[in-house]
Amino acid sequence: MSATLTVDDPTLLGFAEEVGETGPVAIVGGQTRWDIGGESAGEPRLLRAPEGIVDYKPEEMTVQVRAGTTVADLHVALAEKGQRTALPDRGGTVGGALAVGENDIRALGRGRVRESLLQVRYVSAEGRIVSSGGPTVKNVSGFDLPRLMVGSLGTLGCIAEVILRTNPIPAVSRWLHADRVDAGTTFDGLLHPSAVLTDGSGTWVQLEGHGADVDQQASILQTLGSFTEVDGPPVLPEHRWSLSPSEAGAFPASDGDLAFVAAIGLGLVFADAPQPLRRLDPAVTLINERMKQNFDPTGRLNPGRDAGRK
Amino acid sequence: MVLSKLRELAGGSKDESSGDPFVDALRNALSADRVKYDGAHRSLHSHDASVFDGGNSGPVVYPETTAEVQAVVCLANEHQRNVVPRGAGTGLAGGAIPLGVPVVVAVTKMNAILEVDEANSIAWVEPGVINLDLTRHLAPLGYHFAPDPSSQQVCTVGGNVANNSGGPHCLAYGVTNAHVMAMEIVLPSGDAVMLGGLDAEPQGFDLRGVFVGSEGTLGIVTKIAVRITKNRPAVRTLLMAFDDVRDAANTVSDVIADGIVPAAMEVMDKAITAAVENYVGAGYPTDAAAVLLAEVDGLDSGVDIDADRIAEIGRANNATDVRLAGSDEERMLLWKGRKTAFGAVAQIAPDYYLHDTVVPRSALADVLDQIYAISDKYELLIMNVFHAGDGNLHPLIVFDGRDEGVLDRVHAAGGEIITASLDAGGVLSGEHGIGVEKQKYMDRMFTDDDLDHQNRLRQAFDPGCRTNPGKVIPSGHSCADIQSLRSVPKEVWG
Amino acid sequence: MTLDGSEAAVDLKIDADDLNKCVQCGLCLPHCPTFRVTGDETMSPRGRIKLMREVQDNDAPISSDVIDAFSTCVQCRGCEPACPSGVPYGHMMESARETLADAGEMTPTWQRLAMKPLASPALLNAGTRALSVAQKLKVVPERLGLSHEIPLTQPKLEATGSDVYLFTGCVMDTMQRSVHDAGLQVLTKMGFGVMPTGDAAPCCGALQAHAGLAGETRSLAGRMMQNLEPDVPIIVDSAGCGAAMKDYGHLLGTDEAVAFSERVFDMQEFLALHVDKLPEAEPLDLRVAVQDPCHLRHVQRVHEATRTVLRPFVRELVELDDEGLCCGAGGAYSIFEPELAGQIRDRKVASIDRATPDVVASANPGCSMHLGSVGVPTKHPIELIFEAIS
Repeated sequence: MSATLTVDDPTLLGFAEEVGETGPVAIVGGQTRWDIGGESAGEPRLLRAPEGIVDYKPEEMTVQVRAGTTVADLHVALAEKGQRTALPDRGGTVGGALAVGENDIRALGRGRVRESLLQVRYVSAEGRIVSSGGPTVKNVSGFDLPRLMVGSLGTLGCIAEVILRTNPIPAVSRWLHADRVDAGTTFDGLLHPSAVLTDGSGTWVQLEGHGADVDQQASILQTLGSFTEVDGPPVLPEHRWSLSPSEAGAFPASDGDLAFVAAIGLGLVFADAPQPLRRLDPAVTLINERMKQNFDPTGRLNPGRDAGRK
Repeated sequence: MVLSKLRELAGGSKDESSGDPFVDALRNALSADRVKYDGAHRSLHSHDASVFDGGNSGPVVYPETTAEVQAVVCLANEHQRNVVPRGAGTGLAGGAIPLGVPVVVAVTKMNAILEVDEANSIAWVEPGVINLDLTRHLAPLGYHFAPDPSSQQVCTVGGNVANNSGGPHCLAYGVTNAHVMAMEIVLPSGDAVMLGGLDAEPQGFDLRGVFVGSEGTLGIVTKIAVRITKNRPAVRTLLMAFDDVRDAANTVSDVIADGIVPAAMEVMDKAITAAVENYVGAGYPTDAAAVLLAEVDGLDSGVDIDADRIAEIGRANNATDVRLAGSDEERMLLWKGRKTAFGAVAQIAPDYYLHDTVVPRSALADVLDQIYAISDKYELLIMNVFHAGDGNLHPLIVFDGRDEGVLDRVHAAGGEIITASLDAGGVLSGEHGIGVEKQKYMDRMFTDDDLDHQNRLRQAFDPGCRTNPGKVIPSGHSCADIQSLRSVPKEVWG
Repeated sequence: MTLDGSEAAVDLKIDADDLNKCVQCGLCLPHCPTFRVTGDETMSPRGRIKLMREVQDNDAPISSDVIDAFSTCVQCRGCEPACPSGVPYGHMMESARETLADAGEMTPTWQRLAMKPLASPALLNAGTRALSVAQKLKVVPERLGLSHEIPLTQPKLEATGSDVYLFTGCVMDTMQRSVHDAGLQVLTKMGFGVMPTGDAAPCCGALQAHAGLAGETRSLAGRMMQNLEPDVPIIVDSAGCGAAMKDYGHLLGTDEAVAFSERVFDMQEFLALHVDKLPEAEPLDLRVAVQDPCHLRHVQRVHEATRTVLRPFVRELVELDDEGLCCGAGGAYSIFEPELAGQIRDRKVASIDRATPDVVASANPGCSMHLGSVGVPTKHPIELIFEAIS
């Protein structure tokens, strides 16, 4: 075995030591989504993951960054080279965004969080540093632990450092809005909009790309309604719903005066009431439980939380 | 009537009793004609498109429904036999070869495109649907299935799921994992469950995500909701010739650094270009040291801007010829050449060993130099054809297996290629997977702790180690003892 | 069981280099009609080649499953153009079948007997008349694929000169003489004097070669080469016959046979070479789908000519969307393997249905009959051209 495989970065080793081998622990990021996945239990020690950009390779479209770095700081650094990531910037950390796994409402344009994680280093329940995935944009070497970590709410391992895929920031980005146009028809008429949002009466569209392409798509929009330039998306209601694109397009399913913003083509809806609890197939729950048992036999990682109750 | 009678007599009667209670039980559960236990079937299902020999196939079954797959898995559990799923058998890492004498579950008869759901931008398909058939089916609707491995005319969507298949156009569109929204799988327990979902953010761990690319070790996929991608109205395909492979590699790296993500960027070196051109006659320049095929797609204005910029970058890197495909036919022919490159080498020698590693794009030129040096050292012809855009190398070692001792040199050269790739900051496999091919190299990329955790993931699905055992994770870290799987109790031609 | 009952290895007499060319990549699989309908590796070119290797190189026994794998091959050779390694599959399968037929392992007596009349005009005529009567009495099994009513008496083909031969053959001459007649008339209108070969060349031997009876084919080929005038182009309107005759060079391995094969032309191929001589005519008001017979597309590889010569004479020419996958006729295949042939045909018919043609142009009598027997309206391209210029 090559010696370089063993992680010798003192920062990560220090984090592993902090996590240790016993006692309940939970990692704190920006706490922007602290309340999902059930109540924290067992009074865990609250730790912060290490911070800092380790290695940014714009020509590889990858960035190696420690989990405690804020998404905002990361994006500032990437923007200097004209790049960004799929992570939503809600004031939280890179590790938090990955552990929660929620997408930006403009995910059609910037990609899904689960597809942006190339390599993960986490501290296991036994206090060991585990790596999985790889630094290249394409990789099928071994089982896909990065996928498992995204959205796992830190219940399987404490994310320490990751390599993320970056994307070029398009030359032009415009938001347009019109009232009384059908959002579904709008979505179908465009090639690949970065976002199409509707609150039931107005439609917001984000177009990104080369200037001429954006102009061409914008002219298609003008045939559908009287779209005008706006600064950005509407204010999103508090509660996040995960639906299929067709369900989101027909939201709300029953009559009522729910205020909402639905992301067409993506299936995300923000409404002023929470989504009714979704139920997992018991056979799937069994695998989830076995997974948790295998990775964290004593249940010390972020106790009380359950990725199945997001 | 007379003819059929005659034929019956001529064909003789076949012995239907197998003498193996497991086989008899399978025949009861499916039907006799879809459970094969003869030497011919077992011999053919002991191989895939790789150079690896496994054990021997036990019975070969052709289920047609999820319930039949469940029945096979349950019977295998009952009779304590292992299960190996199989699609078209085009894998190159030996992922589908049987170790021990497992039941081979060929999903080729589960080949229906069940539903195209435009409202959700997905199609529900069975695992045996051929990748290109799906794209052809979607064409009248203006969509395609984005993963396009070179074997797309024959490989199955189920196989794509198992291997997280890539392809030239995955540079912009992402590999299979990004195109699978949900799937029904039969777990090693025999239960059928749905993983993932059509909703934006399915709850629970991303079991869908870990199943894709698990090389058939976590269960058998029986239905798949694949994302369908709108066809782009404008496509530009550039063919660039270079006098030095390094220049082609540097062009690729510079294009990405320039902020362009083409739909595809492929490089072929001189030897492979000659073989390909001989087969398709697409007009590839056979005197160039390397050709670069770059494709951009999208809207009219944008693709012109990007194509012009790529051409400019190519010329800055000493491209001797820059050509834009003039028609769809020319474009299709160029791609046909690229995608049949591996098979075309048999014109040169009867055997080949196709490698698959990934290196950082910026390391492409250096690693290629090392590969040519390895070629000289072992006196082997190594040709290079690769997904340059994502750094995915495919060194192709061409040889004649009848030459004394050649296989030792082939494997030694392969080992050095892998080492060179890893040393450059790369990974073991970009799209072929680990299978049995690269198990012994896994500890060059992962520590014991890393492998231990991969095994924990596997065991959450398959605690009994019944599904495609002995693959991916090397012996010692794996739940199954590979050595014991390698001992074959029975002559297949017995 | 081995061939002679002993444990000795069996040499299928397949060229070792040919056998080695296959790298098992599997790109042939989707182009194989039997693999397409069964999903069974033993019914794929890759599988069959592997079995050839097992038998020839690794002493595997000739089990009934091996025989099944070989005898279910339609020999459409759709795998050959799909093969980037250029494996000469058709020749390999013919060698294998010949060895096995010689050893009595393949091609049972009833199949051999069924082919006897092909080489004998008198026997064939008698048989056809019997079939015609039987057809009128409605006692012909459907799977024989006889859609066209077989005429009791046939109009005689008269020579119009001596510039070219029109190969009239066996089955086709008795069942579809109207096709020959159309060809003869069109060629004559183009200024070629045509000699029907008639009894001078009673049969090309294609079906025999496919069944492993290459010896019979060689003797038929020898007879034909002896009976026909040298240097006169031989025009063939049946794709299967044309492919077989173009292969005499390989089969006999003599310079004479090579030269003979070089003057064999498919009808549309010949017309396309002389396209300037085709008379102009008002196009037929038909939407025509082109069905490429395998031995025109995959073996002779001159299927584009059909489009070139047919396009001016019909309103609309459309392609099928199945990339030239076999229809399952395969010479006598549809009789010997009716179930598989039917499944393969179902795929073809579905593709034809999607193309919504008025008529399907097929340049091979076997395909026409096989498709016609399930109600697909077929015409030989030359019949359509003749109709347009008449």
